[in-house]
Amino acid sequence: MPAIECRDLTKYYGDVRGIEDVSFAVEDGEVFGFLGPNGAGKTTAIRTLLGFLSPTSGGATLLGRDATDPVESRRARERIGYLPGDPGLDRDRTAAAFLDHQAALRGESSRDELVDRFGLDESRRIADLSRGNRQKVALVAAFMHDPDLLLLDEPTSGLDPLLQEEFAALVRERVDDGASVLLSSHVLGEVAALCDRVGVLREGHLVAVESVSDLRSRGGKQVRVRVAEEVDRADFEVRGIMNLRVGETVSFTWTGEYDALIDLLSGYTVLDLDVVDAPLEEAFMTFYDGDVPGPTGSGSGGTSGPDAAGSGAVDSRGEGR
Amino acid sequence: MSDRPAPWLAIARYDATGRARGSLVVAGLLSAFLLLFLAFFPSLSTAGIDLDAYVEAFPPAFQEAFGIIAISSIEGFLAVEFYQFAWLLLVGLYLAYLAGGTIAGDVASGRMDLTLSAPVARRDVVIGRFLGLVPLVVLLNVALPVVAYVGVLAVGEMIAVERLAAVHALAVPYHLTCVAVGIAVSTLVSRPGIAQRVALGALFALFMFESVVASTDYAEAGDLSPTAHYDPSAVLVLGEYDLTGAAVLLAATTVLVALAVVRFRRADLSG
Repeated sequence: MPAIECRDLTKYYGDVRGIEDVSFAVEDGEVFGFLGPNGAGKTTAIRTLLGFLSPTSGGATLLGRDATDPVESRRARERIGYLPGDPGLDRDRTAAAFLDHQAALRGESSRDELVDRFGLDESRRIADLSRGNRQKVALVAAFMHDPDLLLLDEPTSGLDPLLQEEFAALVRERVDDGASVLLSSHVLGEVAALCDRVGVLREGHLVAVESVSDLRSRGGKQVRVRVAEEVDRADFEVRGIMNLRVGETVSFTWTGEYDALIDLLSGYTVLDLDVVDAPLEEAFMTFYDGDVPGPTGSGSGGTSGPDAAGSGAVDSRGEGR
Repeated sequence: MSDRPAPWLAIARYDATGRARGSLVVAGLLSAFLLLFLAFFPSLSTAGIDLDAYVEAFPPAFQEAFGIIAISSIEGFLAVEFYQFAWLLLVGLYLAYLAGGTIAGDVASGRMDLTLSAPVARRDVVIGRFLGLVPLVVLLNVALPVVAYVGVLAVGEMIAVERLAAVHALAVPYHLTCVAVGIAVSTLVSRPGIAQRVALGALFALFMFESVVASTDYAEAGDLSPTAHYDPSAVLVLGEYDLTGAAVLLAATTVLVALAVVRFRRADLSG
């Protein structure tokens, strides 16, 4: 049973499209990322899944329960944690009072541990907390009842890099314990670091679903090479090379095979060579050009289904309880 | 799961706790207001002016609006100067205003997202938010009669305890209706500031409507207004307790909260 199954989910706000025909599945134990710029429909998709918005058409299940049925949805929410990027908290209450209330609504089996781990001072009024600390309050509320499914919408937007690391570690631990995660972000690095698969949202459509490892290999290698000889630019303008810059060092993105690269460089005396994964942004940008390469194609919806677990997906695990 | 309170109870408790300080301040201010008016009474009653003749000269609509029956007795004075104005109008409008901001405010600020991401039904939110304002209503109607009684004694007058208790007991259904008006508007209007003003404005418009039609052939249409079913002057001056009015108000409260539940169940939370 997938943790989330979304079938042609569509939400219009009057005439304005929020999302359209979004279909995908998050397998049990998988971390699935929603990637897209602001306004692409990530938040709409998550809020429709949680029942905050009723879909215009289509449907979804959360932990096997119909997300569009209020009673079923409420049962599913017993085991769901939700972390919005800009959580609405009661500014004039203390963090402790707010968390007490959240605990009364959902439980708090690991609240103390989380409060300690993130160094949250519960006695302070929420209005007096920094944005990062407010995000910690919401983070504790989202994780403290040990949910089986986590819906994280731009979760690290207010956190400093150190806390982002701690947050990522927490997500990984929960996944190791059997939780499934849907995480949205417009920061590719965050998604790449945490997710098994990525769904790219553009203008309300899910334009592609890729495993992160595929996306990485698609991105090619960033090559920087310094050679003893004078370099003629034309010698490097061969198939598989992009973003060529010729100067004291020659740098380019290599999307071909390693052997071809070695053949190319064999004519030179290589003084220094540096080959690293190209930034994922480059692979990712291809989705925004409207030209989506690869076998998953560029059609909207239908690009994935429950069977589309990519090579990066971890094995399904048993239920957490 | 079983050790958790019912969601509506948790929501009501959290809401009421958050309002505790504000509620005490409001009770204190209204007490001061009441005592201030009471302090005027001795000089008025000994001035030798026929106040009843004076107020009888007012237009009927005005007399109706302020429930003026008699003003020279302590009961009549309290009814006109405090209960008709502060208890019927001021507190009623304040409660409608407060309630108007509840659900709309939660939705707009995103607090509702966090509440409803927990296993909470929309119905629980509406009922919880309504009940969260009940302690304020109870506090006001328990504290103020005590203040009023002590105040009346302090200015050397006497007042029937039974009538004073009744004017507050019968205020509870009326105030609950005002809260319910606000809650219902809060599910209909998405922007909290607007919802607050619509709730306040609607109650005030109904009050005006009732006052104006009272002296016409359409007086019965005035029954639409919650203010038609709570008459502090009749209670204090005449000792008439309108139990039917109280029942009507409790029924209206139930209907308004039920409407709010139905409406909120279908609503998109578009904050």
